[in-house]
Amino acid sequence: MKLTVQFVATAAVLVLASRGAHGADVKVIANPSVAMKAVSADDLKDIFLENKDLLGGAHVEPVLLKNGAAHEAFLSEYVGKSDAGLRAYYRSLIFTGKGAIPKDFGSDAEVVAYVAKTRGAIGYVRSTTDTAGVNVLAVK
Amino acid sequence: MATPYSGGDDVPNLAVAARKCPNHRRAPEEASNFDERDHMKRFHRCMSIAVLATLAFASASSAQDFTVFNRPVQVHGFASQGFAYTNHNNFLTMNTTNGSPAFTDGVLNVSTSITDKFRLSAQGYTRKVGQLDDFRPELDFAFGDYRFTTWLGVRAGRVKTAIGLYNDTQDAEFLYTWALLPQGVYPLDLRNAMIAHDGVDVYGRISLRQIGKLNYTAYAGKRTFDDRGGYYTFASDLGMPITAESGRAVGWDLRWSTPLKGLTLGSSWTDLTQDRKGVFTAAGFVPGAPYTGLSSPQRTAVGYGDFQRGRWDFSGEYRASDYWLNILVDLPGVPPFPWNGSNECWFLASTYQASKRISVGIYHSNLHVDAPWNPADTASNHIYDEVGAFRYDINRFWTAKAEGHLMDGYGDIFSTQGFYQRSNPDGFKPKTNMLVLRTSVTF
Repeated sequence: MKLTVQFVATAAVLVLASRGAHGADVKVIANPSVAMKAVSADDLKDIFLENKDLLGGAHVEPVLLKNGAAHEAFLSEYVGKSDAGLRAYYRSLIFTGKGAIPKDFGSDAEVVAYVAKTRGAIGYVRSTTDTAGVNVLAVK
Repeated sequence: MATPYSGGDDVPNLAVAARKCPNHRRAPEEASNFDERDHMKRFHRCMSIAVLATLAFASASSAQDFTVFNRPVQVHGFASQGFAYTNHNNFLTMNTTNGSPAFTDGVLNVSTSITDKFRLSAQGYTRKVGQLDDFRPELDFAFGDYRFTTWLGVRAGRVKTAIGLYNDTQDAEFLYTWALLPQGVYPLDLRNAMIAHDGVDVYGRISLRQIGKLNYTAYAGKRTFDDRGGYYTFASDLGMPITAESGRAVGWDLRWSTPLKGLTLGSSWTDLTQDRKGVFTAAGFVPGAPYTGLSSPQRTAVGYGDFQRGRWDFSGEYRASDYWLNILVDLPGVPPFPWNGSNECWFLASTYQASKRISVGIYHSNLHVDAPWNPADTASNHIYDEVGAFRYDINRFWTAKAEGHLMDGYGDIFSTQGFYQRSNPDGFKPKTNMLVLRTSVTF
């Protein structure tokens, strides 16, 4: 019994730690035209699934990393889809005319540069990335 | 429900007429072999273009995005090629008992945002499936989409019709583990019956706070018809070819993202009208006698669900279709008679993403025909299909699939779904096993 309790407690700590690590590994960034300091996880998911294109009354546009740990962490934590699942989803939007495939970039620096110059752009990068020129949004 | 017209001495007998139809006397093997040689030539040409285009775009994925008048334009497309082999019964008008590659389709899509709220999208589609469609290009959709806010948008033009889980995405087979979607619910040969409408959609996404979110679509418009598709083909087989067809569609789709993570539930309803004109060619009628077919009524009610958890996905859909066509024959003394193509169909499916590149799945598809022409023929009132599928993603743009089908029954001559008299002139066997291979490229 004691062993079981220890096992469950350890597993719970690992799961929580891993969830925390995902959240901590990624920061959400936005063009300064997005006059918000925080975004809800619900809205973030809707923005990246193109169900929502307004945030605080301003038009927003999702921007993706092509791959990497931050990309996987963001999708798992906030979008609830794998990379393949998300790309299939975007293709389903394209081939019904209901959406577009967002811009994606191979590096954090490219994402920051694009978000900095593009009105309404919202992206994500590793938490250690220099984010000068963009706003960092807290996720509620 | 009323029983369908069952033949008699004083009115034309459709079944006799169908058997006497000139189409049934054609040498199907010879015709099919010719069709397939011809198909292979066209196929090689189309696939060469598709592969070159795909490689070009895939090798420089940014090439699909460019700007015109400072607005972003995206160009996308896909092409797929299939092969089907059956032990009995030729399926989908292909010569599948010998193995058939006459199973090709492709799409080219262009879209742009004119403003933050206004988008334009258009898509062309072409296919050849056995003797259906013959690579004739068609406008799949072309519409303007103005999104006022998250909960209200309007689309106008030719719009894909939102019915059930997959109606609007059924051609994009690379989205699924399956080589063929459940044919009881999404019959490949009859895709054009409800694939799109020329009209207006109102749509949006509404927050239900703690109980999730609701996507809605309501639509009204003119139906689109395909004069080389399944309906025209089997009407011709019956000796009553269609010369003109029109109708309207109204309906709605509700899709609820429930509070339970990964669970989506939905419902659709559509009401169709149909005004069909044709001329009898079968010897059971007076050849050349015109007829009119009027819907009375045609409605489809749908319930569906999808549950995604980790690597697993479970989905299911149920449809009940009332499909009545009142046939008015322009002959003295011949009363109008009803054509009942009503049915119920459903599927249950499960897929598992075994690795980044491999997924597997199974489904059961079920079609029940309400009023088969010959109730004594116990294989004509249903098609049951047990399916196992394997998918391998060669890369992000290229997929390959293998799928086995165990089919029981062949459905009714008035609600043909895959089993056509013209490609099975000696009649149908009650059971059909089928292997389907399919590969697709997309950019």
